[in-house]
Amino acid sequence: MKLYEFQAKNVFKEAGIPVPNSVLIHEKSQLEDALLNVGLPCVVKSQVLSGGRGKAGLISFVKTKEKAQAETKRLFNHEQKIKSLLIEQAIDIQKEIYVSITIDPYLATGLLIVSAEGGIDIETLAVTQPDKIIKEPIDLRYGLMPFQASQIAYSLGLDIAVTKQLIKLFLKLYDVFVKYDAELVEINPLFITKDNQVVAGDGKLMIDDNSMFRQTRFEQVQSDYKSEAEFDANQEGIPFIQFDGDIGLMCAGAGLTTTVYDLIHYEGGTVANYLEFGGPNYKKAVKAMEICLKVPSKVILIVTFGTIARADVMAEGIVDAIKRLKPDRPIVTCIRGTNEQEAVKMLREAGLEPLFDTEEAVKKAVLLARGGTK
Amino acid sequence: MSIFIDQNTLVCVQGITGSEGSFWTKHMIELGTKVVCGVTPGKQGQFVEGKPVYHSVAKAVENHKIDASMLFVPPRLTKDAVMEALHAGIKKIVTIADGIPLHDMVLIRQAAKEHNAFVVGGNTSGVISPKLAMMGSFPYWIDRVYKKGNIGVMTRSGSLTNEVTAMIVEAGYGVSTLIGVGGDPVPGTRFAEFLPQYEADSETKAIVIIGELGGTMEEEVAQSIKDGILTKPLVAFLGGRTAPKGQKMGHAGAIISGGKGSVEDKIKALTEVGALVAERPRMVGKLLEKLGVPKS
Repeated sequence: MKLYEFQAKNVFKEAGIPVPNSVLIHEKSQLEDALLNVGLPCVVKSQVLSGGRGKAGLISFVKTKEKAQAETKRLFNHEQKIKSLLIEQAIDIQKEIYVSITIDPYLATGLLIVSAEGGIDIETLAVTQPDKIIKEPIDLRYGLMPFQASQIAYSLGLDIAVTKQLIKLFLKLYDVFVKYDAELVEINPLFITKDNQVVAGDGKLMIDDNSMFRQTRFEQVQSDYKSEAEFDANQEGIPFIQFDGDIGLMCAGAGLTTTVYDLIHYEGGTVANYLEFGGPNYKKAVKAMEICLKVPSKVILIVTFGTIARADVMAEGIVDAIKRLKPDRPIVTCIRGTNEQEAVKMLREAGLEPLFDTEEAVKKAVLLARGGTK
Repeated sequence: MSIFIDQNTLVCVQGITGSEGSFWTKHMIELGTKVVCGVTPGKQGQFVEGKPVYHSVAKAVENHKIDASMLFVPPRLTKDAVMEALHAGIKKIVTIADGIPLHDMVLIRQAAKEHNAFVVGGNTSGVISPKLAMMGSFPYWIDRVYKKGNIGVMTRSGSLTNEVTAMIVEAGYGVSTLIGVGGDPVPGTRFAEFLPQYEADSETKAIVIIGELGGTMEEEVAQSIKDGILTKPLVAFLGGRTAPKGQKMGHAGAIISGGKGSVEDKIKALTEVGALVAERPRMVGKLLEKLGVPKS
């Protein structure tokens, strides 16, 4: 789960990481009070989950009240349905650096990543100037040790007063990383002000989805999602991505669904949505189809080859879903795995023509999506 | 022969009294697996499929010789259950749990290394040596998937494994041992770490890996071939060739990030060392033939 900047900064502030003074507003009328608190000049920052806000024109530096009002109005009317703006004190910047902590899957450690070249896209920097990035593995059994934080901070060659603040910041950021089961916690840019103070210019915190049972502080709401289908899927814990093609996927197994996605593209077809109802969701065929039907598609393709996700249970769910939801588009099925014979029987009885070969099913779906009948 | 598990491996089942635990214990025994006992705290004195249940793994090892532990334990309790098995001295552990917290998985892997043990999973179907034994949940009774043979299979997926393995069998081959390392970003054991065992296994004539976008496990396999650790022929099937960049699709580990983990990179690394990469599941069997792998 990805948090908004203001949420991440609240977490930082609680952890003792300095953040600029700011006020979150939800409507234009709240701007006046916010400006009294924050002062001018200030920065008007759209609270959206997508990256690259600066380039997309979703962040504005304003010097006057009139400009602040104009920008607030513009952003609240923006096509990207912005719910809230962070009105933030402008900082006198001397330098920007990059700091993050993530997991290194290969080493199976945490990884503190620091670069004196902050403010820009770290992935770009990793390609163009990899030597400008410092990476320090953190053994999660012991945590980030003060000597490690100190070594990294001193290696940046900054002012001593700044370096001492950085050491504390690294350790506090690690506390946040552990406390929130983070996949990633990032400050980019981390400002060093003209009077040598470190301040988090931005804040990114991504909580591991598998840890949500013990991370109950933040909840996602419908307006965080691009569509109703996406929100519904998330509420059900069903992996779902909406695209703008023709074929709605309702498959089981992450790898198999990805492979079906590839096969459709090889056949010249396009995908309307990725939906995977395998694993713990294999009894949710009705809900899965309900979500699929919310997406504009020309055909729904169901491919499974489950073990615990039994074929007969999924087929029963699909037959039930068809009865209840009366889908307005053709459905192609290719359901194999545990108890597959029973599954085939049930699907036939429901008037479907179950297929048994994935490639054949994909070809049929692509044909139907093009307006063919067989 | 086979690797990791065969008809002589003595298995303990943690979580044996649960519905999944008891269901798959029955099937593991039916296939030939030597399940010796089970563990569920609070259930000592009960029997499942005629096997005694203990409060703890420590109690189980007091009473039985145990080579491996199979976990049917929910994700949130998995770290504790793995640690319990490790502390009881068990060196082979399989966990099928789907949804183990990321930080827990990092700690599990570190602990496994410290104890010189192999943890397989989570988010996997487990390990199977067809006709001999299994730890996990495989529909071994579906002959067109789990036929015994000489191909060693390693995979990051579940359903896709059934799909690809069915194609290996369709081409006239069978499986020596199949290991599902799992779909999580940090698996307990990585592909390359099993290659020395497959290389040493006289029954295994070739390897198939079922990978996907994201991570670097396929690249590590390529490196092992380059280093001469694996000299047997290898065919890979990789899902996610057409997946959009920057989009987490499928398994949590399946994302292209930092310019790494694209299927193109993996194909390049593997083909450079002489492995073949199948574009479609059906091609896997044909490529094994192309490499001259004998069918028996």
